[in-house]
Amino acid sequence: MPHRMPRIMTGKILRNEKRGVFYRTEVSVPERVPFMPGQFAMVSGWNGNDPLLPRPLGIFRSEGDLTAGIIEFVYKVVGRGTALLSGLRQDDLLSITLPLGNGFSLDDAGRIWWLVGGGVGLSTVFPAATYLAGEDFHMFLGARSHDQHPPREWIPGWDTPERITLCTDDGMLGYNGTVGAAIRERLEVLSSSDKERLTILACGPKGMLKDLAETALPLGIPMQASLENHMACGFGVCWGCATEIRASGGAEYLRVCKEGPVFNAGEVLW
Amino acid sequence: MVTTAETPDLSVRVGALTLKNPVIAASGTFGYGLEFFPFYDISRLGALVVKGISVEPTRGNPPRRIVETPAGMLNAIGLQNIGLRRFKDSIVPALEKSKAVYVVNVYGRTEEEYEVVARGLSELSSLAAIEVNASCPNVKEGGIAFGSTPEGLFNLTRRVRAISEKPLWVKLSPNVTDIGVMAKAAEDAGADAITLINTLRGMAVDPRSRRPLLANVTGGLSGPAIRPVALRMVWEACKAVKIPVIGIGGIQSAEDAMEFILVGAAAVQVGTANLRNPNACVDIINGISGFMEREGIMNLDEYRGTLLL
Ligand SMILES: Cc1cc2nc3c(=O)[nH]c(=O)nc-3n(C[C@H](O)[C@H](O)[C@H](O)COP(=O)(O)OP(=O)(O)OC[C@H]3O[C@@H](n4cnc5c(N)ncnc54)[C@H](O)[C@@H]3O)c2cc1C
Ligand SMILES: Cc1cc2nc3c(=O)[nH]c(=O)nc-3n(C[C@H](O)[C@H](O)[C@H](O)COP(=O)(O)O)c2cc1C
Ligand code: FES
Repeated sequence: MPHRMPRIMTGKILRNEKRGVFYRTEVSVPERVPFMPGQFAMVSGWNGNDPLLPRPLGIFRSEGDLTAGIIEFVYKVVGRGTALLSGLRQDDLLSITLPLGNGFSLDDAGRIWWLVGGGVGLSTVFPAATYLAGEDFHMFLGARSHDQHPPREWIPGWDTPERITLCTDDGMLGYNGTVGAAIRERLEVLSSSDKERLTILACGPKGMLKDLAETALPLGIPMQASLENHMACGFGVCWGCATEIRASGGAEYLRVCKEGPVFNAGEVLW
Repeated sequence: MVTTAETPDLSVRVGALTLKNPVIAASGTFGYGLEFFPFYDISRLGALVVKGISVEPTRGNPPRRIVETPAGMLNAIGLQNIGLRRFKDSIVPALEKSKAVYVVNVYGRTEEEYEVVARGLSELSSLAAIEVNASCPNVKEGGIAFGSTPEGLFNLTRRVRAISEKPLWVKLSPNVTDIGVMAKAAEDAGADAITLINTLRGMAVDPRSRRPLLANVTGGLSGPAIRPVALRMVWEACKAVKIPVIGIGGIQSAEDAMEFILVGAAAVQVGTANLRNPNACVDIINGISGFMEREGIMNLDEYRGTLLL
């Protein structure tokens, strides 16, 4: 079930900050929006018909009370919509529909959580780490090159670096290789009793998610994966975002925006 | 409807049906209607048209199903739906409770399948009308064969007409040479109203990977990009038939809606606008009221079809 019913809000930009390859946008909204990490918003910050559709962005942070709230998004510029968002300034307005979809299930006590973020997937993995602050978690962050990692102070739990593994494909920072490889190494030294308590949560490129699923699932390790798909509405009416999910007697197309974006990795047809 | 001198009357007649305003949510862009409960009371709409329903559940096309295009979008959903039985069991009770005026869009792979769905729906006393989708471009067998020739359209319409007493709307494809001839064929076969346009067939490719963007290769174009084409076709259809014409295509605002009424549409449907703004239909209803007040239009009958040529 969605954490709360979605609603449409007008947001006002408080801050639009660029750090490395990431933008971090802080927006004031009329009230606090409770959310589960993994839930997302449909966002547009432009008038007129072109671009036509709002863009899906994970909810990075949400605070406030009944009379005032703050929402944050973290994103990379990849095309026209995100470029327009990145150009917005203080007091510019955004139209935001949120919270949407189903986030991670994090309320299972006594688990060991491995949180895996590839690239901008950190935008959903960081709030999960914040949510799990008092729990036993370890975070793996993957990037193509060292300059594609987020600034240290954005990383929840950076003050306890033993909980963080940075993985870099170019080997110039942290673990030299993919998050999948780092996880396979760490699994080898994990006791079997700890393995039984382990849950993997992941958000990132499809190739990364598939690699992790192929590692975790045969070992019986539950994995929740947050998927991305092209969307039009984001709230379940157009069926444009469908992805193939195992069902009794085969597979069916479910909506990433409604039944997802977080799915049990064992049910996804990768 | 009683109106005071200051408040314009938004009600419209579509054949035997009277709608409280001319704004109808278009099929495929409004889900089963229930998805809009968080946003507004759907009984505020003139009517809503439910997603295309088939005899059996339909799986739909593989992804990718959506591509944004300049001021528009392509979709190739492939009419994914839960099928007639589940629709009646699990959706209709909630629609009835909502008090919304609902219409069901129907499609089949054969004329017989259209008949089966139409028969099953006709039992629903709460159903306002049946809309025959004779025009979906995204399913191999679906609709298009019936919608692309006047004879095919005439036969399909006549068969559904014979099965159902419900008001029958026939939704036309724009992917034809002469829309007037198609509209006339539906009218001659007994349709109560014509709705148009469905999406225009389109395509998007990636020049680098050399691949189509949609798994289905082609898809249906909708949104503001198609509005001028839709407006022209609605105008032509209005001239060709006496039955009401419901205008669809790219409507995003009250002024867009008024354009269609100006060229003769009895009412309008709003599609893609719902996807970008869940409140689009109510915003348009409020906007029409404001437009009428500002322009001194007391009811839509006095404005409809008054294009100055
Ligand atoms: C549930 C969900 C959560 C997301 N959260 C974040 C986030 O927190 N931070 C972030 O940087 N990105 C996130 N993304 C990806 C983000 O939506 C895309 O990067 C963005 O839509 C690109 O828009 P554009 O106009 O810049 O790119 P263009 O390529 O110009 O966009 C063209 C069209 O394709 C769509 N599109 C392009 N890339 C993607 C993609 N990867 N996923 C879905 N649709 C895409 C756009 O929405 C648009 O409709 C998320 C995607 C989903 C589905
Ligand atoms: C995602 C999507 C799904 C649609 N599904 C249907 C459908 O099931 N049956 C139908 O008759 N039309 C369907 N349509 C067409 C719309 O009802 C409408 O005719 C068309 O999109 C043009 O209007 P617009 O520009 O306002 O969207 C669909 C359109 C979209 C965008
Ligand atoms: S994006 Fe429309 S149903 Fe998911």
